[in-house]
Amino acid sequence: MQTTLIVGSVAIWFASLTGFSSAVAQTGCVAVVVNEKNPITNLSATELRRVLAGEKHFWTGGLPIRLFVRAPGANERDVLLKFLGMSESEYKRYWTAQVFRGDAQMEPVGLFSNGMQREAVVLYPGAVALVNLQDVKLGMKVLKIDGHMPAETGYPFN
Amino acid sequence: MRYTRSVLTLLLAASLSHAQDAAPSDREMIQRLVQQVEALQNKVKALESQQRTDPPSDANATSKPAVSTTVPQAADGNTQPGSLAPELHELHGIQWRGFGEVDYKVLNQRKPELGTYGFVPGSHGNFYTGDFDLLLTARISDKASVLSEIVFGEEDAQKFAADLERVLFKYDYNDHLRMSFGRYQTAIGYYNTAFHSGSWLQTTADRPLIMEFADNGGVLPTQAVGWSVTGSIPSRRMGLHYIAEYGSSDTVRPDLDNNVLDDESNGNHVNVGLFALPGSLPGLQIGASFYHDQISDFARGPSVRLGQTIVNGHVVFVRHGIEFLNEGFLIRHVYEQSSTVFNMPAFYSQISKQFGRVRPFFRYQYINTNSGSIFEDVGLREGPSFGARYDFNDSFAFKAQMDHTLRGGQADLNGLHFQLAFTF
Repeated sequence: MQTTLIVGSVAIWFASLTGFSSAVAQTGCVAVVVNEKNPITNLSATELRRVLAGEKHFWTGGLPIRLFVRAPGANERDVLLKFLGMSESEYKRYWTAQVFRGDAQMEPVGLFSNGMQREAVVLYPGAVALVNLQDVKLGMKVLKIDGHMPAETGYPFN
Repeated sequence: MRYTRSVLTLLLAASLSHAQDAAPSDREMIQRLVQQVEALQNKVKALESQQRTDPPSDANATSKPAVSTTVPQAADGNTQPGSLAPELHELHGIQWRGFGEVDYKVLNQRKPELGTYGFVPGSHGNFYTGDFDLLLTARISDKASVLSEIVFGEEDAQKFAADLERVLFKYDYNDHLRMSFGRYQTAIGYYNTAFHSGSWLQTTADRPLIMEFADNGGVLPTQAVGWSVTGSIPSRRMGLHYIAEYGSSDTVRPDLDNNVLDDESNGNHVNVGLFALPGSLPGLQIGASFYHDQISDFARGPSVRLGQTIVNGHVVFVRHGIEFLNEGFLIRHVYEQSSTVFNMPAFYSQISKQFGRVRPFFRYQYINTNSGSIFEDVGLREGPSFGARYDFNDSFAFKAQMDHTLRGGQADLNGLHFQLAFTF
């Protein structure tokens, strides 16, 4: 608990010094993050869609993909659904079908906070998640999409 | 806690000293941040007082991981975060999922028809429960898992029979090689492996005629025991995938009109398929499959064997609430020691669109089997089905469907089908 408070306070203080938080709030940008030990640095938008839809099961090199998503109501969840072209109920039905078909071992775990997402990304080498850019923390590696970093022109989640 | 407060005080002092040099708008922002920190402090105090009043126990520690805000201290992973692992469902137990349905179907005739399960002869309409489906999955490792599907289907006199529809040991070596061993539902076309036995997953109340399960009178060998491999083929944005199956089907199907059982005594089958999921048009699937085995024609004698080849082509689009399914089939029977050949075509086309909770649908289907073939009880059947599905929530739905079927040599068949489908 103490660590959380310290890290949170440092982040807030640093943001106030740099004006970073207000800049991010203007963009509303969402980053695709993986474990920092994952060698991958760039995904095409098509590959990303396949990862998020559970069609792609392994990273290059054979590391199993572990998909983490935010629970309904979070901005990252809305961005994910928009990217996949599904409503909330369609998304749930889609994953029920994926498990039923045997195409997925389980539905993606819905997490209630970005802190939990960070823990998951740090804990699982094959983890991937969508995180609001202002919530990207140490231990997360931000992927380029089609060669673009978040907030750059051409990035799909700006 | 004392240490935390000291650090916080220092941080706030630093930020406030910076604020003195800043513009008025920055001061306002800093003021808001200070208020946020104070709010956080109050929350921490509340949580700490709550912790002091609650006796510490392992059960409490694991039952509330959702509100855990523990963050690993080191980004290098040396500190293993332990609070999240239970919440992430590190699945090594058996996971259950159930699907069920309650149906009412009325026909304009008093004898059973294809796929009407507990339909009682002598009545126009009946209630029945269809399939009660239990899906069990267990994760053995990152690459290995077990999947089984047990279906309790209603039979005559409201007796129920258990059927192990699927039991599969699955091993995914990588995206290019995913293997399954056990009893599976054959990958002839799209529908059979997309919906399996779960009515809740289907938009319509029933399966298309050509995709009906063999034990309900369907003509395809929908199940087999053997092995199956599938995977992606490096093809960039084309998204090519393959599937190959080798196994034993042993299909036994009842005739549609008199419930005589035909045992096809299938030899081992081979089924290969190729399909594309183009990256440029997400939701689109275009594919084809080729199935071959040898079966018996018991009407002509148990030693009469014929080669059965089933060719499928399909184009499917499922996205943005639209479901557009199109599949065509050619079933070819070639008798050994005879020049007799039957070519039996079939297709269905189904379209639906979600509007809020309602999904209206339309389907047209066609099948034409030869007189004298082992499927002569089917004959020519074609016609439209239409209706709507209403999703009360993400777990149960109500479907209403009307069918009009033109039958070669028989009166047209009209049906009205209501279904309550649910998952749990």
